Amino acid sequence: MNICSTVEKTVRTQLKRMLEAGCSFADVRFYDEDRTERLVLYDGNLEVNYQRWEKGIGVRVLKNGAIGFAATADLNAIPECFDRALANAEAAAQLLGFPKDMGSAQPVRGKYQPRFQQDPFAVPLPEKLSLLKRVDEKLKDNTVEHRMVSAHFQKRRIFYYNSEGTEIERWVLNTFAGMTVMARDKDGKAQRRSYELDSDGTGTRGFEWLANPQAFEVHTERIKRELGEIVAAETLPPGRRDVILLPGQGHLQVHETIGHPLELDRILGYELSFAGGSHVKPEMIGTLRYGSEKLNAKVMVVENSPGTFGYDDEGTPQYEYYLIKNGILVNVLCCRLDLGEANTKAGRVVVARSGASARAAGFYKTPIDRMTNVCIEWGNDGTLEDIIRATENGVILDMPVSWSIGSNREHFHFGCEIAWEVRDGRITRVFKNPTYQGHTLEFYNSLDMVGDRSTWRLFQVANCGKGEPNQIMEVGHGVPVMRFRNVLTGEGR
Amino acid sequence: MLETRIRNLLLEARDYARKQGLNAEFSFHRERSSLIRLGNSAIALSTAEELSRLDVSVQEGRRVGSWTLTADITSFDQLREALNRAAENCRNSLEKDYEPIFGAVEEPVDDTTGFDPRLETISPVAKSELCARVIKALKPRGTYDFSGSWSTGATEMYYLTTANDHEAYRKLTDGRLVLVLKDQVKKWELAVEKTQKRAGEFTAEEIIQEFEALLPIYEKNPGYKTEIGNQRVLFGPQAIAQLVSLCVWGGFFGRAYEEGRAFTSRNRFGDKIFSEMVTLIDDPTNPDVFGMPFDFNGKRRRPFPLVKNGIFTNVTYDSQTAAKYGKQPTGHDLNNWDLVFGTGTGPADLKSAMELAGNALYIPHLHYVHLPDPTRGIFTGSSRFNALLIRDGRPVAPLFSSRITDSIPNVFNNVVAVAARSVAQNESSTYERRAPEAQSVPAWLLCDQVRISDVADSF
Ligand SMILES: [Zn+2]
Repeated sequence: MNICSTVEKTVRTQLKRMLEAGCSFADVRFYDEDRTERLVLYDGNLEVNYQRWEKGIGVRVLKNGAIGFAATADLNAIPECFDRALANAEAAAQLLGFPKDMGSAQPVRGKYQPRFQQDPFAVPLPEKLSLLKRVDEKLKDNTVEHRMVSAHFQKRRIFYYNSEGTEIERWVLNTFAGMTVMARDKDGKAQRRSYELDSDGTGTRGFEWLANPQAFEVHTERIKRELGEIVAAETLPPGRRDVILLPGQGHLQVHETIGHPLELDRILGYELSFAGGSHVKPEMIGTLRYGSEKLNAKVMVVENSPGTFGYDDEGTPQYEYYLIKNGILVNVLCCRLDLGEANTKAGRVVVARSGASARAAGFYKTPIDRMTNVCIEWGNDGTLEDIIRATENGVILDMPVSWSIGSNREHFHFGCEIAWEVRDGRITRVFKNPTYQGHTLEFYNSLDMVGDRSTWRLFQVANCGKGEPNQIMEVGHGVPVMRFRNVLTGEGR
Repeated sequence: MLETRIRNLLLEARDYARKQGLNAEFSFHRERSSLIRLGNSAIALSTAEELSRLDVSVQEGRRVGSWTLTADITSFDQLREALNRAAENCRNSLEKDYEPIFGAVEEPVDDTTGFDPRLETISPVAKSELCARVIKALKPRGTYDFSGSWSTGATEMYYLTTANDHEAYRKLTDGRLVLVLKDQVKKWELAVEKTQKRAGEFTAEEIIQEFEALLPIYEKNPGYKTEIGNQRVLFGPQAIAQLVSLCVWGGFFGRAYEEGRAFTSRNRFGDKIFSEMVTLIDDPTNPDVFGMPFDFNGKRRRPFPLVKNGIFTNVTYDSQTAAKYGKQPTGHDLNNWDLVFGTGTGPADLKSAMELAGNALYIPHLHYVHLPDPTRGIFTGSSRFNALLIRDGRPVAPLFSSRITDSIPNVFNNVVAVAARSVAQNESSTYERRAPEAQSVPAWLLCDQVRISDVADSF
């Protein structure tokens, strides 16, 4: 490892010291370089030109069944940082519930680097801006009142060490981008149509992805045209109808009502006071009918996704597993820490091993249970056209505008950018202001058509908020087109 | 004032920028944070962070570039590099179609009045002991479990620019405790929240009493599923703060107003937009709020009325929006405001408020609120903690999760009464840097014709 040798030496000594001080486990993440760049063009003006650089360490220790965490940006004060983590664990042990336990793991030595061709931070700023400017120019149109084009890059080098001897060096590299056009409709309401950089799950994650005109720029004409259609459209009349979710909306539906409620810390009640709980209880794992036979939710190791990172922040290598198999809940998102508690509460082994879901948003945040790539497997109900042909009375929905979800994720209400009405197997017109709502299990049990590979897209979520202290995390969701029967849509007053 | 070593480095960096002919702004942020997190009636996590951050921004004509560093500041070389990076970023940037307003500290500020060293260094053991007392007192009453968090810390903010020799500095402490009691069998949740500026502002006994005031009604009665439709609602502090945040977001940002996207865009200042019982001010001098004395364009922050007795008075302009639309910046180059919803003449206590309400829903807390349609101010969100059905002026049952979907103008036009007593409602987030924020809101707000759009069979 080519980590700054003094930091490495200090960290190893301190990990040993923690074991001598009675800790059963300790780990450290050293962020040697954590860079973020955000560029936002609004109506052609570069309103955000933000670059951030971070460096520091985060230390976690487990003593007497309690976890303590401390972080510092001062690399001359590493031993003191360990002392604070230890004091925090000792204080937490005074009000101990179910003792935390890391289990045991074989030491891992590894390296991970995502595939990319062009490091976005090595691309000169003028080149990045000229691409965004070109896209912005293409978004200009008589119907468009406001335009936004944004790009967001992340690059991190993280060294992970734990008291079991695991040592991992990994790089994170993410490229996010989006474009939005806005205009007011005849009622004066602001409408928008947007596109977020997505993929079929393959390819590379560097600047070349964004620079490929077929990946990003190609969407400008379509979103302008669709905005024009939205502005001229009527509001979706309320009523029950079939809902066909395109991946642009389906990924958020999955994120909010499969991903979040299957995070083990939520299930165990550790997020209750902030983000909320879960309608899932540990004893339901293995038996709960979450959805119809058609529903297969899986943690995937997707080639090109912000949810693919090699090893999680406890050193567990990523692997693939089902969360929901043929509609039955079979697993949850978890890290090493809470397995014992979940299995004890369930009265049997419901989670056998860490799902490599421990993730922290920066050196100064502690790892928590997180989504990685929570995906829906593609099905065999054909293309989008096939699903439309099979639909008598429905709407196709795309891209979230607003969302509000019950604290246990048991019910939800979403607003989308656009709806296409489907009557007797064909698209008849566009509606604006579409909304739909439902109760999670009832909704997934109404899933009756799942599109094939051609409909499956990997969407990136760059801003999943969770935890206290709060953390923003990047995750991926690969989802196909999905049809749900008889859903409550639209707003009736 | 800021620690001499770092202050001198920053002053040196400013002088260096001047010599280089750069228009530079420096903003330094340092926090010492600690948090305990409770779950299942125990401490699930205890954290401590000591972090320094520096934002450098350089402006050259119509171009702006920046560089942010999260690392310990130990040498002038670090600052010089940050400045050079920001300058390079600026040079490579795009010209705006307006002249950006360069930051300048309007008047020197050195404010440490909000700092309490005892709160900065409060130990996790002391926090754990207080929580343990609450848990010990109430857990045996039922199948109860506690969760929550208690975040405390000290924050320093220091801002200066090459425009003049003034410096703006503030140091303060803040804390927020949230305790949630959940009945494991019946699934209802009660919450008690405390905002603090100093150590020792509340005791375990006060928290226990607040829970005890609500417990009997939850313990003795099953949940009530109300009807969809318009109802009288008695809002509590957290829900009022959520409504105020949505209101400001949807109606009082200069950019949204100018672009016709705000629900106030069709109004002129002087129009009556809300009930005369509604007054909204961004007021850093209010004793309930944390009171940020300057913004990160150097403006001195002063009371800034948005709505006075229902009359639309102002919208806010950050320096970018002001420059774009030819306005004056209003001291809003910052994320954490000091919003105040003016008190009224209603009784101070909740019991009298319920008597006044007669038949109503008591919704003190709104969960997961969102503005699906900012141009009409339409919001949606669900009831959560401490919600009650009120009949004939008395609480009679806990309320199942009920969704409100209505517009801010509707709710704020249908105000029946406002409490005479104010409450500090902590609205801080701990995303990224520590940034204390509280609102001063009336203890309750009674509104008619609030639209309940969905009701659940569960809490
Ligand atoms: Zn999320």
